[in-house]
Amino acid sequence: MTTTIEGSMEMTTQVETKRLRTLDEQYHLEARDINVWFKERHVLSDVSLKFPTNSVTALIGPSGCGKSSFIRTLNRMHELIPGAGLAGEIYLDGKNIYDADIDPVSVRLKIGMVFQKPNPFPTMTIKGNVLAGLRLSNRRTRDENELVEKCLTRASIWNEVKDRLDAPAGSLSGGQQQRLCIARSLALAPDVLLMDEPCSALDPGSTRRIEETIRELSSDMTVVIVTHNMQQAQRVSDQTAFFLAEENQPGYVVEFGNTEALFSSPNDPRTEDYVNGRFG
Amino acid sequence: MTQIAVRPTNATPWKNRNRKNVALIAIASVAPSLIAVIVRFLLELPGAVTLLLIFLPLQLLFSALAALILRGKRGIADAFLNVGVIFSTVAISILLGSVLFSVISWGLKALSPHFLYQNSVYITPTTSLEYGGVGHAILGSLIVVGLVTLATVPIGIGVAVYLTETDGRFRGPVRFFSQAMSGLPSVVAGLFIYTVFIASGLVKPVGWLGAASLLLLMLPTIARMSEEVLKLVPGELRAAALALGAPRRRAFFQVILPAAKTGLITAVLLGLARVFGETAPLILTTNISNETNINPTSDGMTTLTTYIYSFLGAGYDTSRQRAWGAALVLLVVIGILFTLARIFGSREVGKK
Repeated sequence: MTTTIEGSMEMTTQVETKRLRTLDEQYHLEARDINVWFKERHVLSDVSLKFPTNSVTALIGPSGCGKSSFIRTLNRMHELIPGAGLAGEIYLDGKNIYDADIDPVSVRLKIGMVFQKPNPFPTMTIKGNVLAGLRLSNRRTRDENELVEKCLTRASIWNEVKDRLDAPAGSLSGGQQQRLCIARSLALAPDVLLMDEPCSALDPGSTRRIEETIRELSSDMTVVIVTHNMQQAQRVSDQTAFFLAEENQPGYVVEFGNTEALFSSPNDPRTEDYVNGRFG
Repeated sequence: MTQIAVRPTNATPWKNRNRKNVALIAIASVAPSLIAVIVRFLLELPGAVTLLLIFLPLQLLFSALAALILRGKRGIADAFLNVGVIFSTVAISILLGSVLFSVISWGLKALSPHFLYQNSVYITPTTSLEYGGVGHAILGSLIVVGLVTLATVPIGIGVAVYLTETDGRFRGPVRFFSQAMSGLPSVVAGLFIYTVFIASGLVKPVGWLGAASLLLLMLPTIARMSEEVLKLVPGELRAAALALGAPRRRAFFQVILPAAKTGLITAVLLGLARVFGETAPLILTTNISNETNINPTSDGMTTLTTYIYSFLGAGYDTSRQRAWGAALVLLVVIGILFTLARIFGSREVGKK
């Protein structure tokens, strides 16, 4: 019958649009042909990576291969460095964040960042640090205490600080400060959280806590983490990108794929050497 | 293993000395002074000559020898440096102390309650100290310096913010001029205002012109100092604030400014210190008067410094006493202002 045919045709188009939409949703963050310069020095060449929604992506590679520069292009922190240059596009929910009509401030509200060195605001209290993002972007919440508790709990530091929320942030240990910085980012409910070697200055205990936090966060957040710790990449990430730079050459992505596959059976001999600790 | 529950009195093993060493150090510390005193009385040398040509070399020699015996060659440079530092500290402290002592001892003679609030109407240089005071000059100082501060603090810190927090095109020239201006002699600042406003017949000498000439001195000081202070705020804090989606303006007011607060207060205090004691530009731009005047836009206005200048210059004992009294008052007023600024500037995090 004609109706059936029509109906089935309708269904096919529906299925197709649905498939397309899920594809878009699957990768709400995508980097296309990213090239980075500092002054005239070309440090990163043609990096294209897709970050699946609510997944954890680890960026590994030896020092100076452009991982940190790359992660900073994802929330437009890169452009704050004098002499910075960039070519390529970063798509967030289908829009290029480098489009002329996009305000970098709005990008950074959606894509949070945790830095290598814990950097809580020393002039604020623990509670003040968690709420700093709201105050800095002039927003309010109905229940500040609830938000503070929620964020500190998600960053698994609530039990340690719940009795001294009004103490200065500087009184915390390094590991606690870093978890406070994570809580501070979470208060803005970002879609994506970038972490630039968040555990490099921390003890094993704090590192384990932060790794657990990352796993939990990935239930409703896309996480990109730069790490020098191969075991860490294996423990926390769903997919891994291996960056490499030859001497005086710009860095590039050697291999990108499922973490387990990349570590157990890498396609490229250089990846195999690196993940097995033979260089870098 | 023994457990130590109470802290023993000698829980600082790094301070332990053996007896021979103590004796040696005592000899090296005391002998040079003794020799210097004896030589001074035998040869009847002037004190300064004894101090610099006999005591200092002897002390250096003795300390170096003691250090050589106790610690070997490495100790000699250390001993030289120690003697140099202690000697300069004591020398400067004595200089400062004697200035303070003379201001206080002379100033106290002029001081009385009415000296603080009366003005100098009908007071001549020979009038007895029972009459008249510096009330008008205290007011004048506070008004003139207050005006300068009100104008320079926002502008000066604004300049510093422009230099450190923005990538403005004119940072180079602005930095150059503020640096060049910070070396400006105060008389030149006064002369500039005098030439532009008074010699040209535009304005008669009034209080705000004095403030304007002081502005030329205070502005570069505050701008330069604040720039250095803001440069010290770690870049990570800036990055953290911006990564949280803060516009630059909010990042500055909520993160950078609080972090730099104590430093900025120091910058303002140094600027204040520079202008509070200024005399020359005020002599050129304000009329010294004996009346109380709280209006900086008309008539003469006396400050403590110009008061000191006029009464010291009169050359009588009573007038000189008044000048010392005013100097003491100036010292105390500055002390009070600085203490207040420090108290308000050093509130701790988490205490509101």
